[in-house]
Amino acid sequence: MTIMAPRKFGDSSDGVVGGRQTRFEGDLKVTGAAKYALEHPVENLAHGVLVPSTIPAGRVVSVDMQAALASPGVLLVLTPEDDFGMRVATDWGGNRPDEPYYPLSREVRYNGEPVAAVIAESREQAVAAAKLIRVTYEEAPHVASLDDPNAGEGNLLEHLSASWGDAEAAYAAAPVKVEAEYKTPREYHVAMEPHGLTAKWDGDQLTVWEPSQWSHGMARSYAEWFGLPFENVHLISPFIGGGFGSKGAALAHGAVAAFAARKLGRPVKLALTRPQNFTGYGGRAATRQTIKLGATQDGVLQAIVHRGASETSTYGVWPEQTGAATPIMYKVENLSSEHRVVPVNTVTPGALRGPGKNPSAFGIETAMDELAAQLGMDPLELRLKNYADRDYQSGKPWSTRRLREAMTEGAEAFGWSKRNHAPRSMRDGRTLIGWGMACGTFPVIQAPSEAMIRILGNGRVEVVSGAIDMGQGTYTILAQTAAEIFGVPVDQVEVHLGDSRMPGSAIAGGSMLAGSILGAVHKAASAARDELIGLALSEPSSPLRDTGANTLTFSGGRVSVGGEGPSLTLPELMQSLGRDVLEIRRNTLPDGASMEDQHQAWTTMAKVEGPTMGEYSMHSWCAHFAEVRVDEDFGTVRLSRMVSAFDCGRLYNPRMVESQWRGGIIMGIGQALLEEGLVDMRNGRTVNNNVADYLVPTNADVPDIQVISVGVPDYNASALGGKGVGEVGIVGVAPAIANAVFHATGKRVRELPVTLEKLI
Amino acid sequence: MTRTIHLTLDINGQRHELDVEPRVTLLDALREHLGLTGTKKGCDQGQCGACTCHVDGKRVLSCLTLAAQAEGRQVTTIEGLAGPNGELHPVQSAFIEHDAFQCGYCTPGQIMSAVACIREGHAGSDEEIREYMSGNLCRCGAYNSIVTAVREAAEMA
Ligand code: FES
Ligand code: FES
Repeated sequence: MTIMAPRKFGDSSDGVVGGRQTRFEGDLKVTGAAKYALEHPVENLAHGVLVPSTIPAGRVVSVDMQAALASPGVLLVLTPEDDFGMRVATDWGGNRPDEPYYPLSREVRYNGEPVAAVIAESREQAVAAAKLIRVTYEEAPHVASLDDPNAGEGNLLEHLSASWGDAEAAYAAAPVKVEAEYKTPREYHVAMEPHGLTAKWDGDQLTVWEPSQWSHGMARSYAEWFGLPFENVHLISPFIGGGFGSKGAALAHGAVAAFAARKLGRPVKLALTRPQNFTGYGGRAATRQTIKLGATQDGVLQAIVHRGASETSTYGVWPEQTGAATPIMYKVENLSSEHRVVPVNTVTPGALRGPGKNPSAFGIETAMDELAAQLGMDPLELRLKNYADRDYQSGKPWSTRRLREAMTEGAEAFGWSKRNHAPRSMRDGRTLIGWGMACGTFPVIQAPSEAMIRILGNGRVEVVSGAIDMGQGTYTILAQTAAEIFGVPVDQVEVHLGDSRMPGSAIAGGSMLAGSILGAVHKAASAARDELIGLALSEPSSPLRDTGANTLTFSGGRVSVGGEGPSLTLPELMQSLGRDVLEIRRNTLPDGASMEDQHQAWTTMAKVEGPTMGEYSMHSWCAHFAEVRVDEDFGTVRLSRMVSAFDCGRLYNPRMVESQWRGGIIMGIGQALLEEGLVDMRNGRTVNNNVADYLVPTNADVPDIQVISVGVPDYNASALGGKGVGEVGIVGVAPAIANAVFHATGKRVRELPVTLEKLI
Repeated sequence: MTRTIHLTLDINGQRHELDVEPRVTLLDALREHLGLTGTKKGCDQGQCGACTCHVDGKRVLSCLTLAAQAEGRQVTTIEGLAGPNGELHPVQSAFIEHDAFQCGYCTPGQIMSAVACIREGHAGSDEEIREYMSGNLCRCGAYNSIVTAVREAAEMA
């Protein structure tokens, strides 16, 4: 989809990298004109619905579909009996077992696993017919959740262990000790746009309209499933109604819809219902962790011993790494951390905003608060005292770490110095008031991307990339980048995104996209400008040729020699060169990367680099300060104030960044006070699988949130100096709020969410 | 059920004729039958507010309204909010200016709610706006900016 003609607010300086340009696609979103996946008009559609299993473990013995088949409008019923003829696609780790793929499984591994599908002329007919399907199961014993007595200790994942010094001995010898267990429940993405797609075949060409955080990666999955060349799949995703980690992979419902569309010879639309969005893909796994902190009397950390576990499914390993933040937050000479995964009968959990770092920070940042309380010390002072001067895990220096500034400037804005550190020291009538703080982090993850710049004869500049925008602001910052390089207003730029036929890009996940795609767009746009300069100075038809200059300036919509003498607009220059279009494509892979390397880079995780793969240890950082008001009689907690300070390096567009930070913080508020997936132990069912029972924050739950940037450009982290923004915001919010609740009430809640029954 | 009923709906000041099954909701009628996809489906069970539109000027959840119930009434959707020449409604402009959305999926519902919230006289203070806008979930967490945008639009109204 072409996005153009944004509204103008503010001034022209907003339209460059770092400016506060309003959302580029804003008009389309406020008028309802932005087309999300399921809204693409397709002729002759059939509608599909899934039938989820009602048992947690076992096998499908038979499916009685006679009544469904006889139901009005029904075109097709699919069951595990059907030979889909599909092959398993490559997983996140790059593994591809040579096996057939059955999106409707005969083996039932969790309650809610799709075991049948109905396709009908209308969605209403499909829904009605699906109710008539009778599935006979042979049930097997199940493990409902991490709390199930039969869950066991799980499996140690050695590659996630960290160890240096002698943590147990140092802990034993430490004069001050705290030890506690922390738990987080299952949490869900709850993107407002449910998952779903329309799949359409033209011969052996498959078009998929599906919300995607990774157009190339998901297209690759469809191609592998059906044994097609990558080029035969066209995945289109110009707008995504929120993803938060859930829309990065092609899923079983996509396979069912695409298969049904091929079998029927007509396009099929299939959307997960809101309840099915709780089981169609994994949310954040439930976790538990034990942390032991040893310190001196004056609060110098001596040892951290961390033992954590998260649930995973019985058929896949997804670790929600409880030790992800623990080793890098503080200066400590002795540390030991281990993480286990415990298989239970759930859909395989997945990445949800701040994976790993988030529950990890809940553990370590609550434990630090406990240590401060035990020492009778200011929790801020304790953190500053143990400030990590380098990364003790990798031994590498930080690229940039302005966490100290985040803590001190955040504290200043919050008024932290006025805090009486004794619990229950502030009240307003029957309302207890508490102030808490906690820190957070998220790694800088790097990946290559590719982009194309097209300059048209009419002077319009197009940016083209398969990268996506699910609300982070990709459209906007890419437009700003091109506008800056060509010295044109942002409304002279068009941005085309979210299409697997466009140049490949990094996934919009792990907070890696902005840094990656901006690097590629900057490189391509700079190359296009250089090319234009070369032509303008050498082509006989160019009026600028005779200036004898060796370079040109692009500014204020005109091309000139340093702003002096003759100048041309872009269309005038293109016309004088006799060009209708100038097209340049660049990527950020090493020079000479083969086509195969390129394909691999855009469709797998193979070229993704972690935060310590270079000379430095690179991360975003934040410090949150929260004020809560707790009703002494009823135990209800209201968040009344929040200040958060961030080091995310350079901000490409502060307006968008502030929105993302607040969004992360608000999801953290939900995690702290509301969100908890409840499992029926008898049958492994997610009982609160809807947005009235699984509570996410509403407007009335959220106070004004002050966000502060303390970052400086970090050119190790990315070409233009930014670090990740999207995930770090949530990390540390829950412990900041839980610590504030402790300060208000004197009660330490170690299990999220902090609900009233835990306080009275 | 294959029986269809014939409906005449007045949407954004235009007459629309359609034949649908009686169980078709107003939301599905708009999105699936009339190509008016600005109104969003977030839950289809009255919990999220994404499908909010106006019926006779009042905000309703179109996923909990049958299309047939809208007959003889005036339906306004997000597509009908801007002026005749496409000039944005003050609430729409304020949403852009204050960045009151990210992914944009909850946005049509938020805006339709906001217009009604102001009309109802429930935008008197930030607290009141928060309360009366709480039927519209925004998982991207644009709430602070939504409150600012509604307050500003209310002041202009
Ligand atoms: S779709 Fe109607 S309230 Fe959610
Ligand atoms: S803007 Fe994404 S849900 Fe509100």
